[in-house]
Amino acid sequence: MAELTDLASGRPAPRQPWASRRYALEIRQQPSWPRQALILGSALLAGLLVSAAILVAAGVPAGELLNEFVVQNLFDAQNLHAVLFQAAPMILIGLAGAMAFRARFWNLGLEGQMVCGAIGATAVALFDVGPAALRLPLMFGVAIVCGLLWVLAPVLLKLRLGVNEIISTLMLNYIAGNFLLHLLYGAWKDPKDAFPHSPQFRAFERLPELGASGISSAVLLAAAVALLAWWWVDVSRAGLYLRFVHANPRAAHALGVPVRRMILASVMVSGAMAGVAGFVVASGQEGRLTQAFYQGYGFSGILIAFLARNNPLAAAVVALLVAALFVTGRSLQVFYQVPFAMVQLIQAIIVISVAASDFFIRHRLQRVSVGAE
Amino acid sequence: MATALELVGIRKSFDGFAALTDAHFALRWGEVHALLGENGAGKSSLMNIAAGIYAPEAGAVLVDDNPVRFSGPRDAARQRIGMVHQHFKLVRAFTVAQNILLNLPPEPGSHGKRLRRVEAAVREKAAELGFEIDPNQRTDSLSVAEQQRVEILKVLLAGARILILDEPSAVLTDAEAERLLRTVQTLARRGAAVVLVTHKMADVKAFADRVTVMRGGRTVATVDPKQTAVGELVRLTVGESVAPAARRRSAPGAVRLSVRQLASTADANGRRALDGIDLELRAGEIYGLAGVGGNGQSEFAAAIMGLPPATDGEIHWAGFGDLKAAATPARRSLGLAAIPADRYGLALAGALSVAENFGVGQVGSGCYGSAWRLDRKRLDADATAAVAAFDVLGVHSVEQKAALLSGGNAQKLVLAREFSNAPKLVLAHSPSRGLDVRAAADVLARLLAARDGGAAVLLISEDLDEVLALSDRIGVMTRGRIVAEFAQPAERQTIGQAMVDHG
Repeated sequence: MAELTDLASGRPAPRQPWASRRYALEIRQQPSWPRQALILGSALLAGLLVSAAILVAAGVPAGELLNEFVVQNLFDAQNLHAVLFQAAPMILIGLAGAMAFRARFWNLGLEGQMVCGAIGATAVALFDVGPAALRLPLMFGVAIVCGLLWVLAPVLLKLRLGVNEIISTLMLNYIAGNFLLHLLYGAWKDPKDAFPHSPQFRAFERLPELGASGISSAVLLAAAVALLAWWWVDVSRAGLYLRFVHANPRAAHALGVPVRRMILASVMVSGAMAGVAGFVVASGQEGRLTQAFYQGYGFSGILIAFLARNNPLAAAVVALLVAALFVTGRSLQVFYQVPFAMVQLIQAIIVISVAASDFFIRHRLQRVSVGAE
Repeated sequence: MATALELVGIRKSFDGFAALTDAHFALRWGEVHALLGENGAGKSSLMNIAAGIYAPEAGAVLVDDNPVRFSGPRDAARQRIGMVHQHFKLVRAFTVAQNILLNLPPEPGSHGKRLRRVEAAVREKAAELGFEIDPNQRTDSLSVAEQQRVEILKVLLAGARILILDEPSAVLTDAEAERLLRTVQTLARRGAAVVLVTHKMADVKAFADRVTVMRGGRTVATVDPKQTAVGELVRLTVGESVAPAARRRSAPGAVRLSVRQLASTADANGRRALDGIDLELRAGEIYGLAGVGGNGQSEFAAAIMGLPPATDGEIHWAGFGDLKAAATPARRSLGLAAIPADRYGLALAGALSVAENFGVGQVGSGCYGSAWRLDRKRLDADATAAVAAFDVLGVHSVEQKAALLSGGNAQKLVLAREFSNAPKLVLAHSPSRGLDVRAAADVLARLLAARDGGAAVLLISEDLDEVLALSDRIGVMTRGRIVAEFAQPAERQTIGQAMVDHG
């Protein structure tokens, strides 16, 4: 027996591609927390350095970067105010993404649902539905319903007929977007200045500022929604079901988890949150229906959810950072003529870095000696 | 006749489970050599080693008496070995010729020219073998039998002279299978060497020149099928008849589940996975369903769990009615517990914690807090207690991921969950497959305990020893039907015979 084995190994080894001969990829079963944090941190740092290099190349003095990104946002009251102002819709849209992705439903139609929510809220304002005191709650409610309805068709089509939601939700963005333009250039055009935006909302149709602080109540609303989302995924029974649906839908079904109902519910929650985000943009930020949705909210929502690993509280924090990036981007635009598209470029670089870090968290390159079997 | 392929003293294990311990096999030029054995005997593993897919841990592979070492199927193809797998490896959106070209080693010439050469070669070879195949047809428009012919053409055109067919007749009708095996016989007569991996006695008797029998990862014997009685082959395959261990007889109670004429819809080839099952299951008994895998066991288990809900016939649950009116959650709340064969696919979510996997079946009943608040403390405490009671090893904390448990402990976790609520009916499909001896014995003891506690247990298993040791009654499942039923004590030989008679 031993003779035969020796004989076999005595022959020259068959040719192998270089990569498989020297290194092997191994899957790490349970990477430790410090290691995960270290890899994630280095990836973020790498992403930030690349972003900084690009900004410097675009004409921002290297010495000003720290000032613009950190000092201004944290210590300048006016800037901090602007960041919080920008953060409210970001938090909501990030949460909307996270809720859908938790059910493995790739809702790429966040922007369309947001537009629908804003259109619904604006309709309530323009047509003077209900008494003045109830106007804001009514706008809020109609925004929820509109956002939810815009995602209802894709989720029902997916559950009943297996229609790919990536395509259906993405395409519905264009329908919502063009309907918005149709309204703004047509029936809802502001008669005062003939610009393509709706007439201004009245004071009781706008989200108020909180006392003397000047902070918009929109942030408070977003924080409340984030807490609600945290309750739903971390505290309630549905959260456990949803984790099963995400981890192994077949097993979830076999174990008696109402898989379809869970998917339907969390996708509807996602659409509703996107609708509220639209309401916040219209009623909290702009004070009217505008075309402000085309700053890449949909894309930002997806990446906030991704960076936060679909965790609601983490999504709120990431959304704050993305909002700071937006605000800084605007001031860089003003002071250094850096195009605003740079903001999306930086977002993309950071997402790619974090996505790549996942590979290094889960795998390890192992050197293999050639002779051994 | 000279030896074409020889495997000597092969050993191979997967995740510590020994699939092959000491396997030998010798194939001569010009013969059809059957490789016979129960599921899990190691036939496919051994042939995957011959085809270069697995590397053996010990032992030697010789082609034409020269030792060889394969680092992949391409190396085996260079030694003119080709394998037709049980599950075809075809790109569905490609044409026949494209699939065959994909399998050929790279050579000079433009893609278009090579494809035309392959088309011509396919036509020629197909005509030679009597296959009617259009090389320009997409493979997903072909029937199963036609796809199999493409697989055979694929390995032959890649130059294979040693042909390994893994369970070739499993997916075919009788007429198709006979036609295929005649073709294979012709190839051998023209000088090729053919291995026929199978569990069908009739095919072995009719078409094989020699037969090697494997059992439990070892080679048992190589004999001439013409000179050997079927009974002897059955004995070699399933082992010596051992009298079942004496154990307490159960006193079966009322009928808890009766299955009447349960059938699934026919597939594209007109085969029904379930073809009229009749079965009665009583409280306090274990009904063992024996049979070779792939005869409808998985579909039957799925039908009881409610996974594909639509089937013809009736599954009557005493005190409720036809289960078809109940979705999986409702069946669970009636008292159905399931231990599916695919435990990582259907019973556990590896990415979630042990506690979550334990609690998911029960949270719906409200015992772990209301829908508003999941009572994690209670869930963790119960999970910890159950892990201890069911002897699930390797759990440092119930918060750890279930994927980190070994196969046996993952199965014990499934049992801990499924038995946590005194089930009325337990469906156990291959519950000890892949487990080491100690874990397997533990699992089987739990099934006996459930029966003694008054549950009706349906044990579906390909392991005849397991069925014999546990069951109060035994049914044999073949081609989607229960073809024979035995009361204990049953003769192992008789059951083995029933399994092959109807195959």
